[in-house]
Amino acid sequence: MLSPLLLLPLLAIIILNLPIRSLTQKLSVWVGIGLSLWQIVAVVLLAMGHESADAWGKYFTLGLSCDNLTLVLLMSIGIVTLATILVGWQTIGGEKQRFGFMNLVFVAMIGMNGTVMLADLFSLYIFIEVTAVASFILIAFQRNTNALEGAFKYIILSATATVMMLLSISIILLVVGDTSFAAAGSAVKQSQGNPLVIVAIGLFICGLLIKGGVVPFHGWLPAAYSAAPAAASVLLAGIATKTSGIYALIRLTTSVFANNESVNSILLLAGTISILVGAFAAIGQSDFKKMLAYSSISQVGYIILALGCGTNLAIIGAVFHLFNHSIFKSLLFVNSAAVETQSGTTDMNKLGGLGTKMPVTNATSLIAFLSTAGVPPLAGFWSKLIIIIALWQNNLHTYATIAVLASVLTLAYLLLMQRKVFFGKVAEGLGNVKEAGWGITTAASILAAITVGVGVTFPWMFNSVLMPISSFLK
Amino acid sequence: MTDSFILLPIAIPFIAGLVVLLIGQRIQSVKEAIALLATAATLGLTITLFRENINFSIPWTGFGIDFALRLYHFSAFILVAASAFSFLFVLYSCSFMRNKPRLNQFYCYLLVTLAMTNGAVLADNLVLLLFFWEGLLLTLFGMIAIGRPGAYKTAIKAFVIVGISDLCLMMGIGLTGHLAGTMTISKISLPTYSLGALAFILMMIGAISKAGSVPFHTWIPDAAVDAPLPFMAFLPASLEKLLGIYLLARISLDMFQLHGNSRLSMLLMTIGAITILLAVMMALVQKDYKRLLSYHAVSQVGYMILGIGTCLPIGIVGGLFHMINHALYKSCLFLTGGSVEKQTGTTDLAKLGGLWLKMPVTFICFVIAAASISGVPPFNGFYSKELIYDAALVRGNIFYLAAILGTFLTAASFLKLGHAAFLGKISEENKNVRETKLPMLVPMVVIAAVCVVFGVWNYLPLNNLIKPILGEERLAGQEFGPNSMLITITVIVLVGALLHHLFAVKVSGSGYKASDHIRHAPFLEGIYTKAEKRWFDPYDIGLKIVQGLSRFGWWIDRAIDWVYEDFAVHIATGLSSIIKRAHTGSYAMYVVWSLIGVLFVIIMLMKSF
Repeated sequence: MLSPLLLLPLLAIIILNLPIRSLTQKLSVWVGIGLSLWQIVAVVLLAMGHESADAWGKYFTLGLSCDNLTLVLLMSIGIVTLATILVGWQTIGGEKQRFGFMNLVFVAMIGMNGTVMLADLFSLYIFIEVTAVASFILIAFQRNTNALEGAFKYIILSATATVMMLLSISIILLVVGDTSFAAAGSAVKQSQGNPLVIVAIGLFICGLLIKGGVVPFHGWLPAAYSAAPAAASVLLAGIATKTSGIYALIRLTTSVFANNESVNSILLLAGTISILVGAFAAIGQSDFKKMLAYSSISQVGYIILALGCGTNLAIIGAVFHLFNHSIFKSLLFVNSAAVETQSGTTDMNKLGGLGTKMPVTNATSLIAFLSTAGVPPLAGFWSKLIIIIALWQNNLHTYATIAVLASVLTLAYLLLMQRKVFFGKVAEGLGNVKEAGWGITTAASILAAITVGVGVTFPWMFNSVLMPISSFLK
Repeated sequence: MTDSFILLPIAIPFIAGLVVLLIGQRIQSVKEAIALLATAATLGLTITLFRENINFSIPWTGFGIDFALRLYHFSAFILVAASAFSFLFVLYSCSFMRNKPRLNQFYCYLLVTLAMTNGAVLADNLVLLLFFWEGLLLTLFGMIAIGRPGAYKTAIKAFVIVGISDLCLMMGIGLTGHLAGTMTISKISLPTYSLGALAFILMMIGAISKAGSVPFHTWIPDAAVDAPLPFMAFLPASLEKLLGIYLLARISLDMFQLHGNSRLSMLLMTIGAITILLAVMMALVQKDYKRLLSYHAVSQVGYMILGIGTCLPIGIVGGLFHMINHALYKSCLFLTGGSVEKQTGTTDLAKLGGLWLKMPVTFICFVIAAASISGVPPFNGFYSKELIYDAALVRGNIFYLAAILGTFLTAASFLKLGHAAFLGKISEENKNVRETKLPMLVPMVVIAAVCVVFGVWNYLPLNNLIKPILGEERLAGQEFGPNSMLITITVIVLVGALLHHLFAVKVSGSGYKASDHIRHAPFLEGIYTKAEKRWFDPYDIGLKIVQGLSRFGWWIDRAIDWVYEDFAVHIATGLSSIIKRAHTGSYAMYVVWSLIGVLFVIIMLMKSF
């Protein structure tokens, strides 16, 4: 059941690009919706233990593996891809354009699914790059100066990351002779003090931090997120960078670096700086999407901080927050897409009073913002709570306090956003704005329902879904 | 006659009061009829119950708190007096309050006040006493608040002052009950040292503030101007004196073993003396009929407290006799004030004068009552004051001096009041003034007549009403004969007051200005000016303190607010702009940051491995 997750999108790309374009162009959206829904169903089945015989596995010995962390990520990928396709359907004009967009989404899907399912450093790198390539083109999709500049910045910094990771992998290959997680892990343990290995570890971590957009490796992120078309920002911010950067980091710190103390202290520091810089920068933004981009940096900081804490509870909190973040940040970007398409701008100084005009967008944005700020009983509250409790239990009181106080900042800038965009008087020239199309509102409603549902059922979730996540920690 | 009849003096006026409240604005006569009938019935009932001794008790809230009532000669006496006054005031109000708004509330409060007073007097349980006592606080507030527009401020003032002293009473009751182990008043007999003294003082504050003693008096002069006039005759002049002094007598005579040589006795006498002098000094310079009377209502309380505070049988008898006398002449005086207000439309002494020919009956009643309050023989005030002088002289010359000085100033101020209001030239507007109607005349005449009777035949009330309160034991061997030396001094003082008045009139040219030389005397001038600006009013001082505290709190609040509103925001926006400026958009810069980050990470890893 695992290999189809990689092979079906690939098959879809091949079939859609057969020389029967007139037919396939119309079908591409439905294929995308079908693929993402199938992925969600497949994850549910896998989670419930329906590990049916992998019929194709005989022919493709890719070494795919699946544990609970992978399942959570696969689920997020499915949900966010669905939202992306729904938003893309509405916002990208022209059938040809839309067709191209869907193909790129499928490529990104292959990349992300591969990233989370492979247990090998080099394969990990390959699929991260597949995702990145899709991302470059998605950012530059509109082909204007802004988009090209954003894409260019991402390419430059991504290339830096590529160089670092390749260098690191080659060093490890030299020292150990193998790039599987298990082998790399034992090599790190045995070669205490070997400067070559230390450099390799450092370079790999930095590469992933660039991919994940953690301060001070985050320079590309605001420009890329805000320059990308609305639908692409949902995919990028919601899941693409999270998978290629943050997931990989979680995987490596747990199974390769094995809670190394100095790695953890670096992560704690980087996480805290990310939280603060992201939050303070977000307060000063007047562009809707830029604010959300900085907010993303800040929220990723929480995940990194929890990772640096290293206890089981903290890792559970990190994974849970990763999932929640992919949901509510996607939701906020979906809302920004709605606002952008309906009003034609994302400058918050020109917006205002859209709440009455766009009731669904307003309500879902409110839910997303409260969840991001960590207001009970929404999902974001619980994941932040777990992280803070874990920090406190591990005697990291300073970090816990900063994390709590930074929540206030989150509340501040998102409240500012909500007020400027949705509350108050209707801004000039926006008198005729209507609610966004059904594709966007459906995507927003699904994401909002997940945020509320996960938050409200948390007591059940905690024991039956979250605690088992820790089974991948050995 | 069954014991449960004792409930009727409470129940009749209370139910009648509630019924009156329901009657609409237009039907005045029905309200008046109900009020008259209810008070008359209560009066008749209390007179028939007068010689009875009844102990009535039904379980109430548990915890030793029963609905216990006790009728004996003291409470029966107060009961009759309160009911009689209520009946006369209702009769008076039938004419005075006609066509005034909110009449249903007025009669309701009046009747409920009577019910509560009867309940408080009859109560034989401290908690039950407190229950009725607090009920009076509500009707007091209501009666002032229905006065002229803006009277609610005075009502709040009265409510706060009386409420605070009631709080003291409540604490005193709690402490007394704790010390005595019972809440039943007739079983309590506590010594007055340590906690007992504290309990006594707390209960005493409740009692004397109800009677209107300094420093709990400041709402009374304000209410005199704001509240409906029958209220003044009804509560501060008569019922509250009866109630307050009743409680003071009960705690001094029965509930606590108060001794003549104790500090508490000295405290009581001092409060009495100060009350006499301060209030009479203020009364002397008033230019308004009702305000002047209201200060005397405070001043005379001083005599009663002084009398009871002496702890001598003769003083206590004098204090209690003065209580009933005061209720008589002061309510009579307020009623004459009401007549003048009703007929001329004002109580400003500057606009009055020469009314004695126009309103002869009112004038005669005024003269009798004024002579009584000034202590002119043979009216009732003279005899009660003589007894108090006698006791005060035994306890200390200073108290006697204060009392006799008070008498001099009282006489002087009433000479001024009478001169300014009834003698002299009549003003143009008052040329056509006529005597008031019969319903207003009857109460005045009746009360004035009782003043004369209680004066000339003073052994009647003394032997029948007052002396039984103390009992045979205490009175054994006590002489109540006239002290010729004291009488001579009193007469000399009164003649002095008359001469002083004539002299002052000659100097200033009119009765209205007869007290101006005292008002503008050196040293007193400044004190009076400050007093008129309410510098010494505990209520206003309290208000200022509270305002100061509230401003202090406001500052703290602003400071905290500043931290949130300005400080935090400035820090956040400052940091935000620094970070924003760092993000120039140059990818080369971002690559440099990343490389610095890499360097940092590798150095950190190197250090630890």
